Amino acid sequence: MDKFFTGLSGFSIVLLTAALLIVLVPMLLKGGSAVFFKGTVEFRKMQADIFNRGDDAALKNEKERTRRAREFIYDSIETFKNGIDPAALSEKVRQINRQFGEQLKDKGIEGEDYQSLRSIARELRDKLIEAFESNDRNLINENIKFVFSYKQDNRLANSGMKEMFAIAEKFSRAIENVDFQKRDRYAQSLGEIEEIVTQLLGPKPGEPVPVLAMARYGATRWEQAEKLKEQLLYPVRWVGGKPGEPLVAEKYSRQEEFKGTAIEPLFGYVDKELSNMLEPRRTFYWQFFIDDSINSHYFGGVGPEILGTLLLTIVAMIFVIPLGVISAAYLVECSTENLAVKIIRMCINTLAGVPSIVFGLFGLAFFVLYLLPLFGAPSKGNILAASLTLAVLTLPLMIRASEEALRAVPHTYKEASLALGAGHFRTFIKVTLPAAMPGILTGIILSLGRVAGETAPILFTGTAAVASIPKSLFDATRTLSYGSYDMAVGDRIAAMVPHQQYGMVVTLILLVLILNTAAILLRWKISKKLRGH
Amino acid sequence: MTTEENDMQTQPAGKAKGGASPFIRLDEGKLQPKRKVDMNSIAVVKSENFNFYYGSKVGVKNITMDIYPCSVTAIIGPSGCGKSTFIRSINRINDLIPHGRAEGKLFVNGHNVYEKNTNLIRLRQQTGMVFQRPNPFPKSIFDNVAYGPRLQGIRDNSELQRIVEESLRAAALWDEVRDDLKNSAFALSGGQQQRLCIARALATRPNILLMDEPCSALDPTATGKIEDLIDQLQKDYTIVIVTHNMQQAARVSQRTAFFCLGELVEYDLTSKIFSNPAKKRTEDYVTGRFG
Ligand SMILES: Nc1ncnc2c1ncn2[C@@H]1O[C@H](COP(=O)(O)OP(=O)(O)OP(=O)(O)O)[C@@H](O)[C@H]1O
Ligand SMILES: [Mg+2]
Repeated sequence: MDKFFTGLSGFSIVLLTAALLIVLVPMLLKGGSAVFFKGTVEFRKMQADIFNRGDDAALKNEKERTRRAREFIYDSIETFKNGIDPAALSEKVRQINRQFGEQLKDKGIEGEDYQSLRSIARELRDKLIEAFESNDRNLINENIKFVFSYKQDNRLANSGMKEMFAIAEKFSRAIENVDFQKRDRYAQSLGEIEEIVTQLLGPKPGEPVPVLAMARYGATRWEQAEKLKEQLLYPVRWVGGKPGEPLVAEKYSRQEEFKGTAIEPLFGYVDKELSNMLEPRRTFYWQFFIDDSINSHYFGGVGPEILGTLLLTIVAMIFVIPLGVISAAYLVECSTENLAVKIIRMCINTLAGVPSIVFGLFGLAFFVLYLLPLFGAPSKGNILAASLTLAVLTLPLMIRASEEALRAVPHTYKEASLALGAGHFRTFIKVTLPAAMPGILTGIILSLGRVAGETAPILFTGTAAVASIPKSLFDATRTLSYGSYDMAVGDRIAAMVPHQQYGMVVTLILLVLILNTAAILLRWKISKKLRGH
Repeated sequence: MTTEENDMQTQPAGKAKGGASPFIRLDEGKLQPKRKVDMNSIAVVKSENFNFYYGSKVGVKNITMDIYPCSVTAIIGPSGCGKSTFIRSINRINDLIPHGRAEGKLFVNGHNVYEKNTNLIRLRQQTGMVFQRPNPFPKSIFDNVAYGPRLQGIRDNSELQRIVEESLRAAALWDEVRDDLKNSAFALSGGQQQRLCIARALATRPNILLMDEPCSALDPTATGKIEDLIDQLQKDYTIVIVTHNMQQAARVSQRTAFFCLGELVEYDLTSKIFSNPAKKRTEDYVTGRFG
């Protein structure tokens, strides 16, 4: 029988540990990646711009190196685009033609000369546009040839028309291997490619700086970059099964798709040179715990959340500890088991079982909308109301733990104190309370964990997903628990930055752990003193 | 919690009323002359038809006995006969019992403590109590002894130190703990703890010491020390001791009361009780023929 129990307890310990590991380890790993990760040059740019952090000179060198490594990407996209985007090319050619007319006027060329040059330019323009928009290779070659025949004409070659010849040349090169039948498909794919490149490397140099911070930088984290690379090289398409069957995802190679075209080398280049374009480096981003968040947690950290959580917890504990201990003292010391006490005890037990969202609604109705406005607070969610709600929520727990602790104090202490001429109050303060302190601290530990982690009670009473750092107790605040919840429900960004979400959760766990450790150490010290060693 | 107002009506002459400290010092020694009591005629504790009930259950009934100053009075009797009930009624620590009820009169230092105007704090300062199991507070040795004096408002450190030393000396513990006053009381042995509890009780300057089986948790050596201590203390204190140990009662006490089934069967000089008791039940009990 003994062996059986040993085995059973051993088994349950193993089971518990396994469950804990299965739940915690992936979470810790994911959350840990908010702080430990491979940061790219984009990350360092962001840190320098937004948080004024990092080595400016080194960053300048990095920027220069990566810019050079990236040039090839932009060039090959540009070249390829010239072959498949007739509308843009046509527009450019028209513009050149118009400018040419004005240039002629500026130079003072008039009369017949003017007329003949203009008509040549117009003809070249039309031929080129015809070529751009054609799918007939012969016609294109003929038209290009026609255009090139004017290349030697000094009147044209030394003017703005020079550009037109350049475009014609680029175009003829660009279309060399382009299958005109696929133009539309190419255009669509190219759009995707450009989008991915923007996400990977940030906006193209020379383009206006986007307003949103999150659009200003490429992939700040190496794993993000690798994901984008995968999307760039091997996109997924949905191929139809037989009628009535669901579509199936299928990966295909973009390099194959663009085989032979001017953009083909881009894929190999990205595959090989991505790390030169982004320069990933091991990063320990401890500032995650103090930074404000940028664009609802796309960048930045959880500083305000930590602050808010601590604030709520501390204010709640300021209410809970004395109230809980005093109530427990009343139940233990001052009352005999009469009806009133029985009712109070029943209320406490019932309250302990009420779902926390009910406390949230109670807090909204009572503290936010009724009680605090009586003292001149605006009737909107604020820290004080949220803390009070949390206090009410955890009060039963605190009372029960304190009551147990007070009851556990040996009766002989009390008798000894009373026999020495102490009053009941003195006896309680001087003897009973200190002796019950370890048990009360246990209650505090339990309450702390509860208060710091609850979301529902503060949902309506004092939190906001976006809020500045609170200046008074009448401001709303962000908290870790509410932040995790907010990112989990319907925030598109959360899917893009899972490390932020997990980071928040892990931070919450750590915070509670630290608070508890402090309380446990304190309890250990006190009970050591009480035991007299 | 002033002790001056609503004072117990009579108080020992030694207590300096209106003085700086409501406190008789040990070094003022010989308390009897100050109290101006005639040792053999005036009882320090006097109970008249005293009853105590636990709800409807009788704890003790009809106890009438006088306890004389500066002597040791032993209370013996079979288990459950109400010894503890009686001794705990003297300093009214029995008040803590939820449905407890006292009837009759019980005078301590001349004042009926069950009268409404009794100052419990003053009463308990006058009656030190030592319990069956050593029950020091989870504090240092010094703080344990200084607990009572501090309650009386003594804050001055050198004064406290003096009282602690005196009390520990009186409890024959000083030499053993003089260097570890800051240590926890729990680090002491059981016997030392019990003597510490005696010192703690002495520190409030009582004139009555109530001891409820003070040696039952101790080994013979420790018991011997406590008995020696009782011998010494009886010069200055009125001691009431409950004991199951007949030899102990015979050794330390001058008078012995025999309780049985909540009643006082016989109360007389110890020598008489043990050699020539008047009642058959007493004889049965002291000779060990009683169950
Ligand atoms: N708190 C209480 N509530 C109810 N009855 C009690 C309580 N304390 C004692 N009694 C009862 O009162 C009677 C006297 O008890 P008491 O403790 O005075 O006996 P005792 O002589 O001290 O016994 P012992 O030698 O075992 O200590 C016993 O019958 C006991 O059951
Ligand atoms: Mg007893």
